[in-house]
Amino acid sequence: MNKEKAAHTGLQVVSSGSSLWEQFLEGDRHAFARIYDIHIDHLFHYGMHFCQDKERVKDCLQDLFQDLWLTRENLSVNVRNTRYYLISSLRRRLLRTLQKDRRRMLCETDNAFEFELIRPQEDKRILEETAEEQRRLLTEALARLTRRQREAIYLRFYQDLNYAEVAGIMNMQVDSVYNIISKAISILKKTISLPLLLVFLGK
Amino acid sequence: MSSDKYISHTARDFALDEDFQQWVLHPEVRNVFWEHWLSQHPEKDAVVAEARRLVHSIGFRSYELPAEEKAQLWESVWSGLEEEPVATTVTTTPFRWSQHFWKYAAVLLLGLLLTGVWRWYYAAPQPVILSIHTRLGEKKTFMLPDSSEVTLNADSRLLYAARDHRLREVWLDGEAFFHVKHTSSHKKFIVHTYDDLKVEVLGTQFNVNDRGKEIAVVLQQGSIRLSIGGKGRAADLMLSPGEMLRYNKNDGGYTKSEVNATHFTSWHNGRLEMDDYSLSDAVAFMQQVFGKTLIVRDTQLLGYKVSGSMPIIYNADTMMVQLEKVFRMKFNQRGDEIWIQKK
Repeated sequence: MNKEKAAHTGLQVVSSGSSLWEQFLEGDRHAFARIYDIHIDHLFHYGMHFCQDKERVKDCLQDLFQDLWLTRENLSVNVRNTRYYLISSLRRRLLRTLQKDRRRMLCETDNAFEFELIRPQEDKRILEETAEEQRRLLTEALARLTRRQREAIYLRFYQDLNYAEVAGIMNMQVDSVYNIISKAISILKKTISLPLLLVFLGK
Repeated sequence: MSSDKYISHTARDFALDEDFQQWVLHPEVRNVFWEHWLSQHPEKDAVVAEARRLVHSIGFRSYELPAEEKAQLWESVWSGLEEEPVATTVTTTPFRWSQHFWKYAAVLLLGLLLTGVWRWYYAAPQPVILSIHTRLGEKKTFMLPDSSEVTLNADSRLLYAARDHRLREVWLDGEAFFHVKHTSSHKKFIVHTYDDLKVEVLGTQFNVNDRGKEIAVVLQQGSIRLSIGGKGRAADLMLSPGEMLRYNKNDGGYTKSEVNATHFTSWHNGRLEMDDYSLSDAVAFMQQVFGKTLIVRDTQLLGYKVSGSMPIIYNADTMMVQLEKVFRMKFNQRGDEIWIQKK
């Protein structure tokens, strides 16, 4: 019911989320289960992009939710965005276990937070070579972004956190987030304008 | 927000604007500002279209946690919590035994350790018991500790217990729609009624209505097993999707029939699906959900039927007005009774 409501009027997402949070703080197990259901997919997705180690991600998620329940009495009522809170917590946990386990710094692999191009429907029939060229350009451009920069882009566009929240999680200034997103848009602009050009040349 | 600053914006500038991104990323949320701005500046159409494309073109590889692993993870979260140690505060007064402190401490520690081991090996998991209910004119959806979902219709009660780790059991009085989650360990889910009928499932969607003289069970998805006991007519039977079983509480008799399951389950989504829906069905509905007694003098009216669908509004007066319109009759309220007449 709540979900349906929320889908109609975006504004209620926050208010229903926060009251769910309050119910959870009061020890309501249903509210806790709802929170798990609402956020688990996004958290798992974030974890997998952070380090491609499924078992580690699942372990951290289990600890995260257990601690959440056990420490609920000490948590703030004023958590405005539950997802922001959960992602920051998951990030700290992942970092901690990875630091402990230095032998396997899987985190440094290049495909963390790598983004790909989604082509709009009308572009689906572009030439195979063009698509190949686009992919090459994007990979090249991605390699020039650091892992942290890609993570910031991911948090804004996939997890739907605002600039200030991204800055909070990544421990950086809002200005830097803005600059990073700007860089990403430039890359996409260059890559996207390519197919049109090639299609014209082909004709 | 000043709308002038956007006039000289390029596609890149738009794509960088947080508010603009929000609008593009959430088409389901209406943004009056942007809709209005665009209608005022049609010359910016092309630029905005390109900016939209830029924002939309960012995608990330998908990683999915399969449903059963998700349920498993949830179970391990809970099972970890059930073993939550009871806080034991050990106060040691130094007093005279200060010189023997370490000995005592060692004995104490050993004792605690043994208790811990004993608890770990033998202690039964604590039963989870909870009860939920709805009042007249109220419908609620709950999630049980095993992640199954239950929607309780008005004036109903449900008790949930997981007494041992092979079973999930509920006791239902009233009407409920169940969406039972299949667990990785194939735990049975049993719905007991306060009569000689119970429903056993692993993971499915079905409706149980225990009201008045009979119990009706309708299966929407999956398969369920019904056990009917007592009164000398014990039976075990399976139900397939789209089948309904009606059990007569008085004589223990039952009939099975094919039905359109959604007609019996749509209430949990807040809709009344009416297909050959008679006035007597409406009377039963108002009685069940709002506790209203509807009285029809002219019994011929009871057979009057309509088809269609409408939202269920949990307000007796609104619902009455709706039904009045649908059946084209006059509903006169006198106290808790409602008299129905031809228009």
